[in-house]
Amino acid sequence: MTGTWAGLGLSAAVVLGGAVLVAALESAAGAIVAGTRPSLVQPVRRVALLLVQERTSTERPDAPLRFLAPALYLSMAAVGAALLPLDRDLVAAAPSAGVVVWGAVESVVVVAVFLQGWSPNSALPLLGGYRFIAMGLSLVLISMFVLIGVALPAESLALPEIVAAQESLWNVARQPLGLPLFLLVAMGAAFWGPLNLADGPDLATGTSADSSGSRRLAWSLSRAAILTTFAAMGTTAFLGGWLGPVLPGPAWFAVKTGGLLVLLVVVGHLVGRVRPETVVRRIWTVLLPLAFLDLAQAGVVAL
Amino acid sequence: MTGGPWVDVAFWTFSAAAAVTGWRVFRTDSMVRASYFLLASFVNVGAIVLLLTAQYLGFAIIFMMGVEMTVMAVFMVMFMMNPGGLMPMSMVHQPRVAALGGVALGGGVAAVALASTFPSRPVGDATGLTAELGVELLGDSMLIFESAGVTLLAAMIAAVVLSSRRGRYGEGDEGSAPPALDPEETG
Repeated sequence: MTGTWAGLGLSAAVVLGGAVLVAALESAAGAIVAGTRPSLVQPVRRVALLLVQERTSTERPDAPLRFLAPALYLSMAAVGAALLPLDRDLVAAAPSAGVVVWGAVESVVVVAVFLQGWSPNSALPLLGGYRFIAMGLSLVLISMFVLIGVALPAESLALPEIVAAQESLWNVARQPLGLPLFLLVAMGAAFWGPLNLADGPDLATGTSADSSGSRRLAWSLSRAAILTTFAAMGTTAFLGGWLGPVLPGPAWFAVKTGGLLVLLVVVGHLVGRVRPETVVRRIWTVLLPLAFLDLAQAGVVAL
Repeated sequence: MTGGPWVDVAFWTFSAAAAVTGWRVFRTDSMVRASYFLLASFVNVGAIVLLLTAQYLGFAIIFMMGVEMTVMAVFMVMFMMNPGGLMPMSMVHQPRVAALGGVALGGGVAAVALASTFPSRPVGDATGLTAELGVELLGDSMLIFESAGVTLLAAMIAAVVLSSRRGRYGEGDEGSAPPALDPEETG
């Protein structure tokens, strides 16, 4: 495969650059909502503070899992990003069953967030972990239905071919329900904004409650990286990935992904958090039928 | 995938990791750790399947087991006899019988593996294998897989109905009181 190493380097750039971008966007959006001036120094200051802050400990934590949970979460962002084609022939890994690999990434994301909640041996993080399982497992279904939808016109589960099949028409126009549903999945995977069940203030920041210092920093960065990777997957599956006129492919990929990230961060600040019971009920009674509808429509169009 | 020393190294590494994590399932003291050791074992088995270039099956094993082990951990903690399943506890029942049974079964499988001659056919590319799998699932074996699928779906719906708070006769917890926070009050 040509471009494997270049693809790997660029995927790492997507994950790390995206995490930095999310931190900057998040701080800017927070400042605008609060009516103060956005500052680029504020996120840097926060990172520096977390780096020097003491790491709190809990009573009888599971130390290996406490270390592994953020690492697992971040590596799932990296594995996901490695699947995404940044240009024609510029992809780190192009397995023929790309959509299934993405599904495996989502299922391990659920494991990572639960273990982050479980490993400190503390009540509030544990509740955050359980809530995430309820939401995460439900969202994996939604995600798989809409992604099988985009595999249908491409007649392939490989992501480069899914992008190539959008040359004539992007999937966002072909399957209008897909992108909104997938963005909700993205928000859920990073427990962002309205779907922040794992880290909500009602649980005193839930899965993060007993993480401080570098541990908290690793967790927040992984979360931003996951949001970026999922937004980039939204670009690949629904917005034609690297396709676009004049500009080179990777530039289009970055522009589209950046746009989706801005949308996700802004929605996160404008829409209030939803109660866990309501989230799970709506996923099963509203979103899942919509995902079925999306898949049925995609199938009829593909036939 | 063309064979080579690295495939052998990968195979033995994944096999050893699968066996060791599988053994740890029974030596740990918590349901959650046991579930995720089992997941680690299955992930290694998935990696071995990937070495056979069966991409779809290999990744599907990792995908499915990630979800299943999580569900298993939640259910085991939920139905544990000690409060919330959060106390350290032994992961084995009837260890002597189980050990004998395990040795007998494992020895049997190993004997079959050693005694039989396996066909030596080079595997094709992964795309072809995924397509063949699809034809198999929706061709000759369709009845088996569809009946298994519908049975599982019925079981899932039944589980949701049984665990639902709202039922035909109103709220499931109507008239019940939450347990007291102070253990003295319960007595």
